[in-house]
Amino acid sequence: MSIVANNIRKTFGAYTALDGVDLNVPRGKLVALLGPSGSGKTTLLRVIAGLEYADPGSGRIQFHGEDVTDVPAGKRKVGFVFQYYALFRHMTVFENIAFGLRVKGRKERPSKSGIADRVRQLLKLVQLESHGSRYPNQLSGGQRQRIALARALAVEPKVLLLDEPFGALDAKVRKELRRWLRQFHDKINLTTVFVTHDQEEALEIADEVVIMNQAKVEQVGTPQQVYDRPASPFVYQFLGNVNVLRVQALAEAGALARGAAAMEANGQVYVRPHDIEVIPHVPGAMGITAIVRYIHTAGPAARLTLEQVKTRETVEVETSRVTLANLDLKVGDLVNLRMRQGHSFDGDYTI
Amino acid sequence: MAASVSTALADKRLPVRAAGPRVIRNPWWVRMLFMTTALTFVGCFLVLPLVAVFIEALRKGVGAYFGAFADPAAQSAIRLTLLTVAIVVPANLVFGVAASWCIAKFDFRGKSLLITLIDLPFAVSPVISGLIYVLVFGAQGWLGLYKNAENPSWPALAAWLNVHDFQIIFAVPGIVLATTFVTFPFVARELIPLMQAQGNDEEYAAITLGASGWQTFWKVTVPNIKWGLFYGVILCNARAMGEFGAVSVVSGHVRGETNTMPLHIEILYNEYNFVAAFAVSSLLALLALVTLVLKCFIEWRHAQAREA
Repeated sequence: MSIVANNIRKTFGAYTALDGVDLNVPRGKLVALLGPSGSGKTTLLRVIAGLEYADPGSGRIQFHGEDVTDVPAGKRKVGFVFQYYALFRHMTVFENIAFGLRVKGRKERPSKSGIADRVRQLLKLVQLESHGSRYPNQLSGGQRQRIALARALAVEPKVLLLDEPFGALDAKVRKELRRWLRQFHDKINLTTVFVTHDQEEALEIADEVVIMNQAKVEQVGTPQQVYDRPASPFVYQFLGNVNVLRVQALAEAGALARGAAAMEANGQVYVRPHDIEVIPHVPGAMGITAIVRYIHTAGPAARLTLEQVKTRETVEVETSRVTLANLDLKVGDLVNLRMRQGHSFDGDYTI
Repeated sequence: MAASVSTALADKRLPVRAAGPRVIRNPWWVRMLFMTTALTFVGCFLVLPLVAVFIEALRKGVGAYFGAFADPAAQSAIRLTLLTVAIVVPANLVFGVAASWCIAKFDFRGKSLLITLIDLPFAVSPVISGLIYVLVFGAQGWLGLYKNAENPSWPALAAWLNVHDFQIIFAVPGIVLATTFVTFPFVARELIPLMQAQGNDEEYAAITLGASGWQTFWKVTVPNIKWGLFYGVILCNARAMGEFGAVSVVSGHVRGETNTMPLHIEILYNEYNFVAAFAVSSLLALLALVTLVLKCFIEWRHAQAREA
């Protein structure tokens, strides 16, 4: 089922959490709402779920063309998974999953064996068949999150909403679980929206990323689109490390070729650390002259922190460890920097 | 009773720890000094009076002890205390759950004022609590003025009140009202921090799963607060049985009619009937001990539930 939200406004007193937000989630897609904390992403998710109501007079929410703006949460057929799982602590895993079926009216409620079958089927789906009789506090964080997912799926929701589903997990489990979620989504093919502040997570598993900032949507696109063609300086900086270099510095160093005339002298160019090439220093050669300040070699790639000789501004560079070994650099050495690719919000540059 | 209630409240949140690291372990004589002081204090001011109650009660033998309960006035006092408790505790249970539900789960204007008001009975002297009711409902108070007015606003109501000689002060309704007021905060005070700590996520989860508000309350909220609720009820019950000051002001001390157990004990004591006074006291003391045992049991169960 598709989700369409138009011009949603939500204020809490004087604070604006959502300022005229539009969202369009195509059927069967996995969409990430990505943004820093306080950007309104969780509020948007809760408004979609019906756990919060948008300000009166603001826009409408539709599920598959049907207006659900005034439908209460329990009747919207949404599965909601909370950041801290919100499992019923006094019930076993089995009882937790069965809850949504047991509270149904007499007519819709499946028989006792029907409920048991459904719960077993869901436990199998989340690969925790043998855990039905445990209590939530006897499970690890990752297991709890999967049970929360199974519980949400028990009532056969039309859309699945996940609020920071991996936020409370440690780094390793988080990576495993997000890949598992992607495969899981491909299997069940349910329209899913998840909230995250982790850009890596969003870019890795989402079909589409909605980037939010200060109660507004900044950009919508596939992970490739938003990463390669960020619509605003905010998106550029939010999706990974970036160096902000002054056009003037680049021009003086002869590091800018095309289009330089079109740029204002005080304009800025955004360059990713891995788009900067480090070459041995030759006086008078092209490129920005910089001094090596720190060399970090722990990790898959080497990171250099350099200081531009002319402007004293810092530049971060990421390069392979092999390249770094060939350069044979020490702290305090002079090098030249060349931009392979940069981005300016006055127009694109390839250098 | 009041002392044991307040220490119980203070103790409850301190986790019991094993002996600390060696750096903060004190020499043996310091430990001995503190322990002796503490034990002497507990012995002199808690254990000794408690033992004295039972010794005094049994001074003239078991026959005299049970004889004290054969007195119709004593039986009436016990009945009245039980009746009061039977009305007050459920009323405050309902109120406490409703108030803490509102406070913990919703945001509204005047919330901090409500929290302060709930604490009011703890802050004012019980005697004043009783006096308030005398001023409002007494013969010289608003109710008395209304009953005796020449042209009351609702004549039918005034007539009904006069025909049935409806009284609040110096009667059972006044005792129930005053006790309700004094024991008002116990359940709510116990539940508010618990519910606030638990947050709303489980309730929201239940609602998205299609549960109604009623189902959510009974299947999710109540099971989560049951131990705190039980604890609050026990404290409320203990205080309701033992309340003296407020009840004393509104009761009128009519023997066999408006005397609760604490008032009956006072009268017996003033009449130099020590054995009977201590015998009835021993009943209250026993109730307090049962309350404490129940409290320990609940804390133990609660800790177990959390560890499991």
